[in-house]
Amino acid sequence: MSNSQNPAEETIRGFLARIGKDAEFDASTSLYGDGLGLDSLEVAELSVLLEDTHGRDPFSAGLDVTTVGQVLDFYAPAA
Amino acid sequence: MIGLVERSAERDPDRPAIVGESRSLTYGELLAGARTVAAQLRARGAERVAIAEHDPISTIVILTGCAHAGLEACVLPTAATDETVVSIADQIGDAVIVTSRPLRHPRVLATAEVLAPTDEPAGEAATDGVVLVLTTGTTSGRPRAARHLWSRVLIPHQETRPTPDHRWLLVYGLNQFGGLQVLLHVFVAGATVYVPDSFQPRHAGRLLSPWGITHVSATPTFWRFALAELSGSAPPPLAQVTLGGEAVPAALLADLRARFPDAKISQIYGATEYGGNITVRDGLPGIPLDLLTAHDRIQFEVRDGELWVRSKTAMLGYRDDAANVGQEQDLDRSEWRPTGDLVEIVGDRVQFRGRASEVINVGGVKVHPAPIEERIGSVDGVFVVRVGSRSNAVVGSIVAAELVIEPGHDPEAVVAAVRAACEDLPPAARPRSIKVVDELPTTGNKIARGAL
Repeated sequence: MSNSQNPAEETIRGFLARIGKDAEFDASTSLYGDGLGLDSLEVAELSVLLEDTHGRDPFSAGLDVTTVGQVLDFYAPAA
Repeated sequence: MIGLVERSAERDPDRPAIVGESRSLTYGELLAGARTVAAQLRARGAERVAIAEHDPISTIVILTGCAHAGLEACVLPTAATDETVVSIADQIGDAVIVTSRPLRHPRVLATAEVLAPTDEPAGEAATDGVVLVLTTGTTSGRPRAARHLWSRVLIPHQETRPTPDHRWLLVYGLNQFGGLQVLLHVFVAGATVYVPDSFQPRHAGRLLSPWGITHVSATPTFWRFALAELSGSAPPPLAQVTLGGEAVPAALLADLRARFPDAKISQIYGATEYGGNITVRDGLPGIPLDLLTAHDRIQFEVRDGELWVRSKTAMLGYRDDAANVGQEQDLDRSEWRPTGDLVEIVGDRVQFRGRASEVINVGGVKVHPAPIEERIGSVDGVFVVRVGSRSNAVVGSIVAAELVIEPGHDPEAVVAAVRAACEDLPPAARPRSIKVVDELPTTGNKIARGAL
């Protein structure tokens, strides 16, 4: 998956590399379990990183976020 | 308190009691000033006094004058807003507000008026039952007025020997228990207290050598900044370095020992409510277990990971409601009370783990910030750090750290080193948010902790 238009993708890739869980993903990839394999604290860490980097994050916005695509959609430029 | 000043003035009236950057007072002048204040306040029928004065030397004179006149007195933080000043004055019980602020209030007395010479008689110095009020919790929430008897607060100082050559630097506010302890010690010892215009370490630290300061009691945060300020210059000839008010990191103790090899290094543990403290003199972090019960007047024990205290010098109680003035009950001083300090017994010592109010609940796991702070603080390149909670939509709260980096270090490399240093902590205790900041907020030379 490559969506260089989406500013959050680079943030996610950098985070995964830092915690040693870098893997290919697409929009349907789960943040948890068989997807990226993040635990709840790692997702919490990702959420504050997104907030600090982009000024807002989908988790704090109250969205039920479980996939990479849902994160990216939150930052996707309005059509 | 007035008795201490009287005795020192009798022994040597010309010895400097208070030295500031622009003026000083001998013991004789301090006593005369206190008598003037007592006369002025008595002439105006004051019973309780809230001192909201920015000039610390005037504050000391007014406080001493209140003690002379037997008036209940409370020194307010210089940072207190006008609204807080009036609120506390009301809480104390319609107290007269002595201030040089342009505060419009019917009970305001101008500082200059109170210090002005008068023909009114000062009267005899009050000897017993005089109340001192100290405010607590002024950094967050509603300040509370803790009432003490001067006679009890002075008990721990009864064994102090005269040491007129000692020069103490005052870097605690006079509204703080630490500042009061320095002042009382100086007056009992007939020594001199040096009062800088600002208690900020960058300012006060520069005065150590020019003033020939021999003794300093301050918070670990003050010492950390003062050490940085003194870096590269000859160390001042300190004989005594005292730390209190915050948990003391082992690395800071080591730095102080290296910087001041000839000084005695002590840690004091106490709080406004106890009216006393214990002193650890072995230079190691934490409190030796056998010291908890070594004193009859103040004793501690560990219950369920928290330190409890009973103190014969404890406060009378809180004055929370002006409607209850005169109705307060003296606390049962044989009763054990929780200190709010979380501790762990490690070997033969009690080690601090932080305040109960600062525990971080990470998805149901309780995390103590102090050990994490100590661990991060020892990472090369970290000048100062605070660890606290950061609210988070996923797990409720996470552990967050804010760092000030030492000059010449790469922030990214230091953050990576901090992460590596925390890698073996339990997952909930690892900082999930690490920010590099220019400075950390402080109150009374203590780092402001809690929610980041």
